[in-house]
Amino acid sequence: MKNAIEVHGLRKEFKSYSSRSGLKGAFRDLFSRNYKVLRAVNDISFSVKQGEMVGYIGENGAGKSTTIKMLTGILTPSSGDVVVNGMNPHKEREAFVQTIGVVFGQRSQLWWDIAVQESFRLLKKVYKVSDEEYDRHMGHVIRTLDIEPLLDKPVRKLSLGQRMRCELAAALIHNPPLLFLDEPTIGLDVLVKLKIRDFLKEINEKYNTTILLTTHDLTDIEALCDRVVMLDEGNIIYDGALKNLKETWGEGKEVQFQFLERVELSALEKVTQELHVKWELEEKEQHFTAYTTDEANAVSDLIGAVISSFQIKDVKIMEVSTEEIIRKIYEKGEV
Amino acid sequence: MFYLQMLAQYIGQYLKTRLQYRSDLVVELVSDLLFQGVNLIFIIVVFGHTDFLNGWSRDEIIFIYGFFLVPFALFSSFFNIWDFNERYIVKGELDRILTRPIHSLFQIVLERMELESLFGAITGFVVMAYAGARLGLSINWYDPILFLIFVIGGVLVYAGVFILIACISFWADARTSIMPMMYNIGNYGRYPVDIYNTVIRFVLTWILPFAFVGVYPAAFFLRREEWYVYSFLTPVIGVVFFAISVFVWNEGVKRYRGAGN
Repeated sequence: MKNAIEVHGLRKEFKSYSSRSGLKGAFRDLFSRNYKVLRAVNDISFSVKQGEMVGYIGENGAGKSTTIKMLTGILTPSSGDVVVNGMNPHKEREAFVQTIGVVFGQRSQLWWDIAVQESFRLLKKVYKVSDEEYDRHMGHVIRTLDIEPLLDKPVRKLSLGQRMRCELAAALIHNPPLLFLDEPTIGLDVLVKLKIRDFLKEINEKYNTTILLTTHDLTDIEALCDRVVMLDEGNIIYDGALKNLKETWGEGKEVQFQFLERVELSALEKVTQELHVKWELEEKEQHFTAYTTDEANAVSDLIGAVISSFQIKDVKIMEVSTEEIIRKIYEKGEV
Repeated sequence: MFYLQMLAQYIGQYLKTRLQYRSDLVVELVSDLLFQGVNLIFIIVVFGHTDFLNGWSRDEIIFIYGFFLVPFALFSSFFNIWDFNERYIVKGELDRILTRPIHSLFQIVLERMELESLFGAITGFVVMAYAGARLGLSINWYDPILFLIFVIGGVLVYAGVFILIACISFWADARTSIMPMMYNIGNYGRYPVDIYNTVIRFVLTWILPFAFVGVYPAAFFLRREEWYVYSFLTPVIGVVFFAISVFVWNEGVKRYRGAGN
């Protein structure tokens, strides 16, 4: 299968000047500026297959938006090769954008003052979509996203959730094989998020649409993407399955106990001294947390040992969340 | 062809939006007409005090002014790019423009049109008719065609200069006050250029060729044969300046840095 996105040694540098301090410094700046070259994206390479859903994650300023903007033809790369849908995004911009859909969560694609359907109509002309194609494809999109009742309202009267659904529909008017979503669920409530996720899954299955998604909400990624590309300071620090990430980093399990009577930490440690367990006590609520290994019977051994000696009020077994894993990775700075 | 279709689509949409707010539309129409009326009175009062200016009669100067209003009205209807830096660069609206399959500059023209400004052209025609009648100017069969060509040339001159200024935003971050200054300089083109000294005349002809929006083309209809060469240069200068500005624009878009989120 051919690759939808092919990136080799992609780099983007921004030149910015730092001003000197004070009035004297300002005068010196007039004549010679101190230029500083910031490398926002540092020689990254990756490829995305047609039909893949990829999560592109990183902290603020890690270079996510810059990459997306180079992939969509908005910015020119400083060096490196980008081939998206078989084209060079910046060089053949007008032909290229016909094959992609873009949603920037923080920026509207629709016309503020006119009704949603008028925006759609205008975009339909912009993308040269025929009436039959539009009816066949958009009828489905409009139904699935449940935006029929919104069509005759001007965009400025829509709520954020309503607007976002319309934005998504607008990005799909020309049924592009590749969809870029930059923070599509930012600030949305859970119901709208779920609706959008279901919809994205559906078009991915139906049209084999490739989706590249950046988000701060990792639940989006967990729900949609099998693969994540993680960026830190312009470098790719992880590229692979989300599951593997969890297996390597989500080491150990956490079991939280509450007891009916007062229990000493030392007593617990004594009971479980033969198992590899580390205990922690949260004083106020009297929650005892045991950290154990990933071995198959570690959890049952632990619970068995505790139950046989103490009266338990509550037990919780917790898995390490993706968010925690990501936080750990960023703290360490590498995978 | 596609671009003409898009222009029609956007104009249709523009009118629809305007018609939605009926009361606004009426208020705007009335105030626009009022503004043009005041403008007209102002012109006649101001020029009422001058009789001859370096060999140009009062009516000739009024005629030139009337001519100038027509390309200027077209320019202000379609090239509202004076706030390009703030709106498209600082706010990052250009990101959106660049993800659509139409030339970026043309999209901005479409988005920012303000057709109300076309009323200025009506004032221009009234002024020309008034001055022309007093001068006893005759109209030949080819005059309307040349008029159209000269007007388009003038619009292209104006558009070219202002696009070039807008392009500065691609290279420099800081906001500049060149735009309002340029609007001022543009006004000099309405008066006969031979009243200025040679340096200013040179600038208005070859560097910021605003003379090609007013006095040069208008001189043709005033049958001032000594200016005919310049009159017929109008479309040439227009096309050259516009072509340069589009070239610089395309180069500028390559250097666009985007706005941070």
